[in-house]
Amino acid sequence: MPTTLEPVEVVDPELDDAPTTQHPWVVIVWNDPVNLMSYVTLVFQKLFGYSLEKATGLMMDVHQEGRAVVASCGREEAEMHVFRLHEHSLWATMEQDK
Amino acid sequence: MTLREWLSRMGKRDFVPPVRAVDDGWVLQFQDEERDLLIRLMGELRELLTGPEDNPLIIRLFPEAYPEDAEKEAEYQRLMREELVASRLAAIDSVTETLGPEGPALLSEEETFAFLQSVNAIRLVLGSMLGINDEDPADDADEQDSSEHNLYDFLSWILEWTVRSLSPN
Repeated sequence: MPTTLEPVEVVDPELDDAPTTQHPWVVIVWNDPVNLMSYVTLVFQKLFGYSLEKATGLMMDVHQEGRAVVASCGREEAEMHVFRLHEHSLWATMEQDK
Repeated sequence: MTLREWLSRMGKRDFVPPVRAVDDGWVLQFQDEERDLLIRLMGELRELLTGPEDNPLIIRLFPEAYPEDAEKEAEYQRLMREELVASRLAAIDSVTETLGPEGPALLSEEETFAFLQSVNAIRLVLGSMLGINDEDPADDADEQDSSEHNLYDFLSWILEWTVRSLSPN
């Protein structure tokens, strides 16, 4: 992702709230070279209702680690999230949480 | 006016944010030439989306959902690809109408997001066209000066302002 914003404080995403047995699928967003950091953060806020802090933390994970788990849920819901992320041209995939 | 002529004018543009949030919605602040260019780009995006599915320029617009499971992926694409095309075309229709002569003075949030998504989609296509595939593309100076690079930068600039206008905080 191109760096077009000033560095922001990284907030660890809270992804381990729920036991994985209840959320067997994870939605993953991967780093890509085109989507702007500010755009990715806005999309996370819009689609998941995350706070600016949480959305920014997830965006920074994508940017720095190459990927981030943005949601953990049932398969149907995960497919819906992936579709909506694709509508916004983010590189999203889903897989079963092992 | 050719794209190159138009872009050379852009440097002389008075600074006005292209998108701005106001009390009851959002306003687009483009010059006529800019509107015409954006409408033309929307038309080109529409052609790409309704053309061959394997066109490498649109690969980034249709990512895989299940990269590690061919069977689930085939099923997902069978059900969802058409829907994703329809969603993108609906956004293009909205943007084209919004930018046209009969377009509203004030945009809704939905219309502004359609604009955001469509401008971003064009950036992704241009990114593929320019071979932007890592974080600091070491392209040579000639390439960076090309019309396509200028256009890419212009769309990035629009996108930044649009994101800013839509950001809740």
